Amino acid sequence: MGDFGLKDALSSITSTAILEAIAVVVAASLLILVIQKLVPAVASKLSGKPRLYLLALVPLLRLLIIILTIVMVVPILVEPSFENMLAIFGALGLALGFAFKDYANSLIAGIVTLYEMPYRPGDWIEVNGYYGEVRSIGTRAAEIVTLDDTVIVIPHGLLWDTLLANGNDGTDNLMCVAELYLDPNHDVARLRSLFRDVIYTCPLTRTYQPVIVAVSANDRGMEYRLKAYPLEPKDQIRFISDLTARATEVCREEGVRILSWPPLPS
Amino acid sequence: MTTDTDQDHPCLPGGLIPLDQWKSPETSVHKTVRAGFQDILEQLRSSITPEGRAFEKLDNLPALSAAKLKKFAPEPSAEELANALNQQLEVFRQDGHHNRPVNFLVAPPFSGVPQALVAMKRRVIMPPDNLLMSEQEVSGWWDEQLAGDDWVLPELADFWLRHRSGLSLLKEFFARVALDNAGEGVVGCSSWCWQFWIQYLPELHTGPVTLTCLTGDRLTQWLDYLASGKSGRHLTARMTHDGLYVLPARSKDSKDKYSSFAQDLANVARGNRGVAHAIWQRALRAKPEEDAEQEGAEDTPANGPKCWVAPLDQLSLPSVPHSSGRQCGHILHALLLHNGVSRAQLELVTGIPGQEISLTLARLTRAELINQDAQISRYQVTPLGYPAARKYLQARGYPVDGF
Repeated sequence: MGDFGLKDALSSITSTAILEAIAVVVAASLLILVIQKLVPAVASKLSGKPRLYLLALVPLLRLLIIILTIVMVVPILVEPSFENMLAIFGALGLALGFAFKDYANSLIAGIVTLYEMPYRPGDWIEVNGYYGEVRSIGTRAAEIVTLDDTVIVIPHGLLWDTLLANGNDGTDNLMCVAELYLDPNHDVARLRSLFRDVIYTCPLTRTYQPVIVAVSANDRGMEYRLKAYPLEPKDQIRFISDLTARATEVCREEGVRILSWPPLPS
Repeated sequence: MTTDTDQDHPCLPGGLIPLDQWKSPETSVHKTVRAGFQDILEQLRSSITPEGRAFEKLDNLPALSAAKLKKFAPEPSAEELANALNQQLEVFRQDGHHNRPVNFLVAPPFSGVPQALVAMKRRVIMPPDNLLMSEQEVSGWWDEQLAGDDWVLPELADFWLRHRSGLSLLKEFFARVALDNAGEGVVGCSSWCWQFWIQYLPELHTGPVTLTCLTGDRLTQWLDYLASGKSGRHLTARMTHDGLYVLPARSKDSKDKYSSFAQDLANVARGNRGVAHAIWQRALRAKPEEDAEQEGAEDTPANGPKCWVAPLDQLSLPSVPHSSGRQCGHILHALLLHNGVSRAQLELVTGIPGQEISLTLARLTRAELINQDAQISRYQVTPLGYPAARKYLQARGYPVDGF
């Protein structure tokens, strides 16, 4: 039993069976490819929840197809007895464990990702300082697109020991913050009220979500944080820019100086 | 189901109810799911076809002449609605449901409430020319307007702009109302404007009332009432394709087979009387399809006017043109929030440059989603375009009204 019975299990494989198995695998791969191209393309035409639901379907469908393919291919190649299954999966496990340790790690983490859903396609996440929208979840890695339109590939294996921040967690509610540092000598209550009006009158604001104007004093000056939700997560840059521009206009009208960091030479 | 109120005020079926009791017409799970899939298909279709569709008639049957349309589906009378509203508000006061000096009547667009309030024979407060008044100016302006009791403010949405400088008038007004310091009056408010202001002022409690949602039965009663007018002769309306009855309203001992048209129309319009009325006008036909006239012909009343009704799936309502930007959404939302605004005001509240606004307004006008009131040069959403506009805005995360 030095070979775990693998030799016996594989002895019955014929060339026809191999061709048949390859045909099934190719068909499954093509199907996965079509799903990975078609579903996101359709989702991009939609807005709101239907878009998120469609995007979330992609990895689940792929997992389903992979499982079905394995279930179909194994009986084609070997007789599906308990001993043969033990031999095949034992050998596969050993090979993956030693030769492709990191790959297997990411594969397993990928399955955990589908179960625990720390991120889904359409989520805005930050991992190791990289922030972007999850574009796709592959078997081994997820792809995010940053706000500068750069694609970053994040292996699922990072899940085990890396902090991951998810901005919208499967919903289309993404809080955004516009920050301003102001010269402390001003009427704080009035400015907070004006900034609140700024948020409510911005056409990109979801007014049915909380609107907060937080203020704190620190060594850089009075820090104002205008917190609100944009209509859709993809509007975040325009939303923050719009809030910042409108708040700056208020400061100009009120004669309140905006501080820069490091301070500009006077 | 009809109630005593329906008998007392046929122009206001269901009467007035507290705002928080409003419910949209009930519909089956099957129809809800179907509508959901249709919405998704509509979104996909709009991204494929270059331009949004305007209203289309998908059958070849002749429409009613203008004279007959005016007779069979006339515009509701503002005076009658004003009387009914007055009586209902009085009932509310006497029952002790409302004891505040200012009554708020919140209604979805096209409900006819502003026109009815103008017809109430009270002092009408009209908006100032300048909606961007300073806080000091605002206080003086309201002092003048609210000097005496018995005033009516037909549409609150005309008194503000969604701009940092355009909130003062209503902030001051609501502050006075909250302190019961605004005299006695009635305020009409579009549901979209109301939705914004209760989010902006979450502690605002004014006990608003609203019109009861038009269900299929109430809609039938109302359309029947409008068509019969003062003559009292009931209109007979039957479906063009199967001859089933829509009007007159079903009596207790009626054995006629009735169509589900009124129920479906109430669902499409979400119980909104203005939208339902606009679609109803477009659905009326002078002739049926072949054979439909024969079906159930023995039951047709010998006398009285008669017309035919095209099924809803034979009417293609306007849809919002596909756009990769936010222009269409911002403009439609601004028009609904303010119950219509001018081009210059749109520039102010949306922040979109003037040229882009002109281009988008032209597209939306071609799609029959909006029109321009030539007299006051304001753009507004059309009743036929309203269902598509609301769905479009809701799907794209905009704050929508509760109706």
